Amino acid sequence: MKAFSYSRPDSVRDAVAGVAADREAKFLAGGTNLVDLMRLGVERPDALIDVRHLLGHDIEPTADGGLLVGSGVANSDLAVDPRVRQAYPVLSQALLSGASGQLRNAATVGGNLLQRTRCVYFQDVTKPCNKRQPGSGCPAREGSHRDLGILGTSEACIATHPSDMAVALAAVDATVHLTGPGGERTVRLEQLYRLPGDDPSRDTTLEHAELITAVQLPPPSALYRSSRYRKVRDRASFAFAVGSIAAAMVIDDGLVREVRIAFGAVAPRPWRAHTAEDALRGQPADAADFAAAIAAELELAEPLRDNAFKVDLTRRMGAAVLTELAEAQQQGSGR
Amino acid sequence: MTSIPLTSPQGAPSDTSSAADGRIGENALRPDGTLKVTGEFAYASDLWMDEMVWGTTVRSPHPHARIVSIDIGPALATPGVYAVLTAEDVPGANAVGLEHEDQPVLAETVVRYKGEPVAIVAADHPEIARQAAKKVVVEYDVLEAVTDARAALDPASVQLRPSGNVVRHLKVRKGEELPTAAVVVSLDFEVGMQDQAFLGPESGLAVPAEDGGVDLYVATQWLHVDQRQVCSALGLPPEKVRLSLSGVGGAFGGREDLSMHVHACLLAMHTNKPVKMVYNREESFYGHVHRHPATMSYEFGAEPDGMLVYGRAEILFDGGAYASSTGAVVGNGGTLGLGPYRFPNVHIDCYGVYTNNPPCGAMRGFGCVQAAFAHEALMDALAERVGVSPAAIRKLNGVREGDVNITGQVIDSAAPCEELVQILLDMPLPAERSGADLLSLPGGVANSTHGEGVVRGVGYALTYKNVGFSEGFDDYSTARVRLQVIGGEAVASVHTAAAEVGQGLITVEQQICRTELGVGRVVVHPKNTQVGSGGSTSASRQTYVTGGAVKAACEAVRARVLAAAAQVCGHTADDLALDGGKVVARSGEVVLDLAELLGDAELFADEGVEETVEWRHRPTEAVDPETGQGNAHVQYAFSAHRAVVDVDVDLGLVKVVALDTAQDVGKAINPDAVLGQIQGGSTQGMGLALMEEIVVKDGHIMNPSFTDYLIPTILDTPPMLIKILEYADPHAPYGVRGVGEPPTISSGPAVAAAIRQATGKALRRVPIRPEHITGT
Repeated sequence: MKAFSYSRPDSVRDAVAGVAADREAKFLAGGTNLVDLMRLGVERPDALIDVRHLLGHDIEPTADGGLLVGSGVANSDLAVDPRVRQAYPVLSQALLSGASGQLRNAATVGGNLLQRTRCVYFQDVTKPCNKRQPGSGCPAREGSHRDLGILGTSEACIATHPSDMAVALAAVDATVHLTGPGGERTVRLEQLYRLPGDDPSRDTTLEHAELITAVQLPPPSALYRSSRYRKVRDRASFAFAVGSIAAAMVIDDGLVREVRIAFGAVAPRPWRAHTAEDALRGQPADAADFAAAIAAELELAEPLRDNAFKVDLTRRMGAAVLTELAEAQQQGSGR
Repeated sequence: MTSIPLTSPQGAPSDTSSAADGRIGENALRPDGTLKVTGEFAYASDLWMDEMVWGTTVRSPHPHARIVSIDIGPALATPGVYAVLTAEDVPGANAVGLEHEDQPVLAETVVRYKGEPVAIVAADHPEIARQAAKKVVVEYDVLEAVTDARAALDPASVQLRPSGNVVRHLKVRKGEELPTAAVVVSLDFEVGMQDQAFLGPESGLAVPAEDGGVDLYVATQWLHVDQRQVCSALGLPPEKVRLSLSGVGGAFGGREDLSMHVHACLLAMHTNKPVKMVYNREESFYGHVHRHPATMSYEFGAEPDGMLVYGRAEILFDGGAYASSTGAVVGNGGTLGLGPYRFPNVHIDCYGVYTNNPPCGAMRGFGCVQAAFAHEALMDALAERVGVSPAAIRKLNGVREGDVNITGQVIDSAAPCEELVQILLDMPLPAERSGADLLSLPGGVANSTHGEGVVRGVGYALTYKNVGFSEGFDDYSTARVRLQVIGGEAVASVHTAAAEVGQGLITVEQQICRTELGVGRVVVHPKNTQVGSGGSTSASRQTYVTGGAVKAACEAVRARVLAAAAQVCGHTADDLALDGGKVVARSGEVVLDLAELLGDAELFADEGVEETVEWRHRPTEAVDPETGQGNAHVQYAFSAHRAVVDVDVDLGLVKVVALDTAQDVGKAINPDAVLGQIQGGSTQGMGLALMEEIVVKDGHIMNPSFTDYLIPTILDTPPMLIKILEYADPHAPYGVRGVGEPPTISSGPAVAAAIRQATGKALRRVPIRPEHITGT
């Protein structure tokens, strides 16, 4: 590990200033991803500014009836919050399907959003990787890419974002509160992430020294209450997704009144399936249409040799979860 | 023994004295059990000495390259660094290896796999050692790498050794050369590279000694074979290289080869300081051998009723860059590769080759695991073709006691194939899926499915494994047993060099001493090279071989004690026995107190009665290299599994609902420990069937972490019904039969068979991943 300095400032302002003053400094929260990457030599900060004690640790109601989740809230605490479980079940389910109990206790909401990709070339400093070392190349296209992306990828990078929580947040239209040297701002969760294009080195639209302070959930609604997260992985617990779906849907009089769909583990960011949503909105709630709508979204997919299976996997999983949501409502139970 | 100021956390592995009862056949408490559960047990990575320094290893980034130059200057100039050593600093032979001494301690002119050690560094802090290691400048001239085992067989490919790329080619020929059969089934099969995935990384502590030698404390499986290689590399005689077993956090074959042993000793002798080395997880994946990946082509011929006529197989093991135990793995693949079935005609070619992939060697199941996936898939294919059940085809063709097997050896003890399969048939099947509990569904708590597209399948497998070292190897163990009075009580102590790696051998040693000497307290001496070799803790052999040695040493001690007792009491020695700390007559009459007898200065010295015995099982023979014929093995251990799976055919997810098994163990010395071995072994075999694979691309390991190399969690592990048979092997001590490996061999093929039955897919490769089941 590269030598680094460690500090624990007394205020967010000082923390931001500390990172802003040093291009090679990083914020430290739960450390469950950053420290691993430092040990691998992937992340090489020369200073760590510990902010865990400065970040919000509470989940508070907002004026419009939504929730403001401090970015220091542990993943496990968010998952079991009764308001979250009742009003945004997709979020609770996504959190509980991720990592292990110990990791969820240590990992923060803000850190979860900023996890780096699990691409094996990114994690192995002896290999080229455009994300880690811009311009060095991407061996994944020809090499080991079974777990990598089929949507939103580029010639330069086919990495996927590993978070489960972020996929659920995308489906419930969450926004992210940021503070940085230039002041505070708010972005929609989808806007937090950027696609790799020619420059995969930056995963997000955050400026240097910008800090996630909170995640805001919109007011509860029938739509978010009727939501599900499903995940396929290679073993029954403690494994990253091979594919996942966050979905919310309200059916009214046999028609899809409103719907949200996000795919996980197939793209560099949680993939809001706007094409599929548009195709479904206002249409009859029919299983065949669900599959067709998901398939329409996947028209954009650019699968490679060993990850083509993700196209069918995502379509089948998406159709199944929408069907389940429809059936639950037709039975009059939100479950 | 050299006395050195070694300090360990509370609960060193030698501190194993508490439990005082439990004879053979009883569930004696493990002396190390409580310490391990409470976290107090000291593993090798916990070793600590004041003034010690830390060693680290510089490894090759290339699978195949010529070393042009090594500049240690910048590393050596780093403050805190004590030494940087290369091949030039190896005083003895720069060549070690289990079967062939073909592996340099530190690479000299060529590196042959990614991760091969090139230089070693000692510094006063592990992080400084790692930083300095990065400053060792090695200039490489990259060479073409051979990373495909099939290509390595081609004489036109790059030849990695003067002798060629073939480590061993074993032919097994029996009966007609070109037999014909009414029914013929054939298939190709592929098995990925499995890791032992032990939790305790490679670690140890080398301490320089005043006599110019070295004391090495290390987690290993076979102290004396380590000692032989360390001596050779250091150019020292055995009396100057003393090894002691430190706490071992799992082994499974992966500690049979050297890792940091010589490196730590070199650094210790060079710096004259104790040197500790501990691999991190990534380094561990490069720092030990793995299970050989295999490609196999099989063909079985049979009569219309399913009776086997012939078996043909070509098995190719990728041995990686160094031989390790590839030769013996080929021996098992060839001699046992058709499974426990009656074949009048046999034609097998089994190869192990050198490549530039990570070296492969011993892992639980040793050559039988890979072949079992192929022969069991073929037995199912044959059953389907002739219209009988998977159970029926195995009962029809399974070997029986007295049969002559495919290498011409008579199976001269129980071979209960038919019974093992019938037991599985008689076990209750799990209830149909309820659907309510997510945990019962494929994908489990990930909420992957709510049951749509889920189908159930059932699969069977029947396999066998040789116990002990085979093919003429001089396989023995040594035990020193002493009976003496300590604190007014007769106490036995037992000293062997047989490694306790977590399997429970020290408990077995205690149980045997209690049984044979009639005492309660048995002190297990720390394992070290101050007693003769115990042989390897592998091949399911320690309860048999070291157990045999301990039993024989106890018998020798008992004979002396009873002879002395006879002098005192007037009974003949034949009429006396030891029980409950007393000398008792056959009539049950208590004749003497054992402690009093031992305390009689006229009869015994203060240190009591001590005997050392070197014990061998029946010899085996080398097989004929052209025909594979010969009495290759000393004992066979049989097991059968039935797997029940629910498969989500839409998503490719598998939930193993039940993994039931029957196994003949000869005699369960410690029934709970036997169950533990079977549960663990079954899970490890299931892991290979479903998820465990070191992904190697162009000689590079793509998943060297426990985040990316997946082993089953408890949520992946089903309930197991386990039936233990105890058909004593008349040739083995107490009739025991090796236990540890068989369940690892039969569980995986049963899981694969169940998935095939559920999905109708061919599934000719393990691990079976979701994309293989969804077929896209």
